[in-house]
Amino acid sequence: MATVIQIIFGLIAALIVGAAVMVVTVRNVIHAALWLIACFFGVGALYLLLEAEFLAVVQVLVYVGAISILILFAIMLTRQVTGEGVRQLVGGWRLWLTAAISALLFAVAIVPTVISHSWNVPAPPAPPGTPEPLAGVAELGRAFVYEFLLQFQVAGVLLTVALIGAIVIAFEERARRRRVLTLAEEHELRKRLAHPPPVEAPAGEPAPAPRATPISEGEVQQ
Amino acid sequence: MTAAVPLEAVLVVAGALFCIGLFGALSRRNLVGVLMGIELMLNAVNINLVAFWRYLEPRFISGQTFAIFIICVAAAEAAVGLAMVIAIYRNWLTVNADAVDSLRG
Amino acid sequence: MYDIVNGLINTTFGWNWPGWVIALISHLLVTTLLFAIAPFQMLFLTYYERRAIARMQDRIGPNRVGPAGLLQPIADGVKMFTKEDIVPAAADRWVHFLAPCVVVAPTMLMFAVLPWGPGMVPVDLNVGLLFFFAISSISAVGLLMAGLASSNKFALLGAMRAVAQMVSYEIPAVLSLLAVVMLTGTLSIVQLIEAQAGLFISSADVPGVPDLGLGWFIFTPVGLLAFIVFFIAALAEGERTPFDIPEADSEIVAGYMTEYSGMKFGLFYLAQYVLNFLLCAIAAVIFFGGWQGPGVGWLYDRAISPANPDGNWVFNLLAGFLGVFYLLAKTYAFFFVMVWLRGAFPRLRVDQLMDFGWKFLIPLTLVNIVSAAIWVALLRWGPEQGITFTQNWTPILRWGVAFAVTLAVNIVAYIALARIFAASQAEQGRIDLDEYRDTLTATLR
Repeated sequence: MATVIQIIFGLIAALIVGAAVMVVTVRNVIHAALWLIACFFGVGALYLLLEAEFLAVVQVLVYVGAISILILFAIMLTRQVTGEGVRQLVGGWRLWLTAAISALLFAVAIVPTVISHSWNVPAPPAPPGTPEPLAGVAELGRAFVYEFLLQFQVAGVLLTVALIGAIVIAFEERARRRRVLTLAEEHELRKRLAHPPPVEAPAGEPAPAPRATPISEGEVQQ
Repeated sequence: MTAAVPLEAVLVVAGALFCIGLFGALSRRNLVGVLMGIELMLNAVNINLVAFWRYLEPRFISGQTFAIFIICVAAAEAAVGLAMVIAIYRNWLTVNADAVDSLRG
Repeated sequence: MYDIVNGLINTTFGWNWPGWVIALISHLLVTTLLFAIAPFQMLFLTYYERRAIARMQDRIGPNRVGPAGLLQPIADGVKMFTKEDIVPAAADRWVHFLAPCVVVAPTMLMFAVLPWGPGMVPVDLNVGLLFFFAISSISAVGLLMAGLASSNKFALLGAMRAVAQMVSYEIPAVLSLLAVVMLTGTLSIVQLIEAQAGLFISSADVPGVPDLGLGWFIFTPVGLLAFIVFFIAALAEGERTPFDIPEADSEIVAGYMTEYSGMKFGLFYLAQYVLNFLLCAIAAVIFFGGWQGPGVGWLYDRAISPANPDGNWVFNLLAGFLGVFYLLAKTYAFFFVMVWLRGAFPRLRVDQLMDFGWKFLIPLTLVNIVSAAIWVALLRWGPEQGITFTQNWTPILRWGVAFAVTLAVNIVAYIALARIFAASQAEQGRIDLDEYRDTLTATLR
């Protein structure tokens, strides 16, 4: 059983790291976004392996279902730079500097710290195979309304503010927007401009006389 | 899981993801690419939190709670950041981070 | 399934195979069954829809291939298979190829948590309901991939419309389900169904109600409002009329499917009908009790189950058949309503769709969550939660008061929101018209 889990972990880790490398190196931004989705999936699978089912589902719901869609939308709205041949990475010494910084951070700072630190992992419960007492979704909900109530509400306010802020930033003034009229609207408007309708129908107008011809389809639609 | 894979392995994966995200955020010229790098870094932090929860404190929920707060912040950051990208694109007709330099003296 | 395979192999044949082999066999069997059922549902639903819509339009519909035209979908499938597979020269090959797969795979995964009958669920996840909707949101990525890869403006427009619609209508759908989750306190779909035993009153709310399998959530005001909102959102998610804007053939050819042909087009088609089936089924499961119905509970009490290992397998079969029958009857009834709406309503405009979702449905579901909280407080809570005035009431009195209060809240909220929404829409129309007049006066001058 342990070997199976190790193999699965290895595959997931390879997926995460490989997809992440593709995200930062691939030329086409759309492809980068798709690799990003693959990476999010890998992280979700890792959460499942770590027995955080709720978090895995939330990861898929929020990252794959919302954030990556948002990113793809932004790419779509700012297209014309996605084409091949446009240089996507900074050039020359800056590229080497950033690569060196990241590699050094990983090789000099993170890995030695992680390996050398003693983590005091608590011993697993006595007979191997018995399920460990894990905190589940119910505890999570309880934590949000008791222990982390203030933080929870602050997060709610943050999301609301972000929603409003995003709308305000991306909003385009109505006056600046180019308006394209449909044929039907144009026709209707020409008619209205030619014969301006009375502001309000006079109150004592008699009912129109019954018509001899059947009402045509176009009139019904009006 | 805890018996088969040591905590260090998970942390190294998260560290690698963080460094790749950092590289992406620093080296991409496209603003959307920069945001993608930041998302990768946030994911790496989340992996760390969940791993610490699972290995060190499986009875307490704090690790998962923190991860959910980070997901919240990531969603807010993505919304505002991408709105800014769109606004920038509308004014400068580019999403190249180097080209948006009207504050340069 | 695990119990049945285990009983067959280890008890009947006495082979004593280890547990993981039996688990593997039973999971493989279940997956095979589901993968066989899903395309069959799609074939049947296309036939059903064509016949039903034909009746509504005073036509006959497909009636040539096979008895009463029953083999028509198979003929269509053969046609689909033999068509040439065309990839546009300007398309992004890999993304274009992957998009149909990304659209189909989530719909298949959604079957994993759908219970078909008592004890007949592939996987009983403790976050099943959330899983269902998380997975369904993935297909939006596939649609976007199809639109981006086709390098066709109609495909791109269709994909943008489809994704905007799916993402915005996911919120009211999930919020309306949240009200139901509050009523039961669980995210597991199996437990949601088990909470719907009873007779018009759930026996989880009032103990002692006779169990006819009719304690559906639709009979509570909270559940009714949630169902209406959920069904509208499901129409939008499944891209059914009046929300079929993404593939409005009179405006943008076929939307994101424009550049697809042959089997890839068939896969999109499959995904769409399977998604419609699943949305109808989940509506039946959550608001109409799924397999719950008169007789199923009685039969299942006598069958082999984890609680009752020495039952009779005949009752397993009977309860299973009856449960699947109830579920499918409810599902097809909802699908009929979808077809009916298609026959009756014109298509909405994009801005009308967005306004309706964001300005009407979401506030309505938020109010519904408040009434769900009132319901829970009146029925479940006692002095230890700080609700003291209900402790001497009988359960039926509590239920009645909760019913009256939530009904009043929901009706008032609905009427108020409908009036506000109508007023805002009228105002919007007036502003638009003024703007047209200004633009046109400027251009005519």
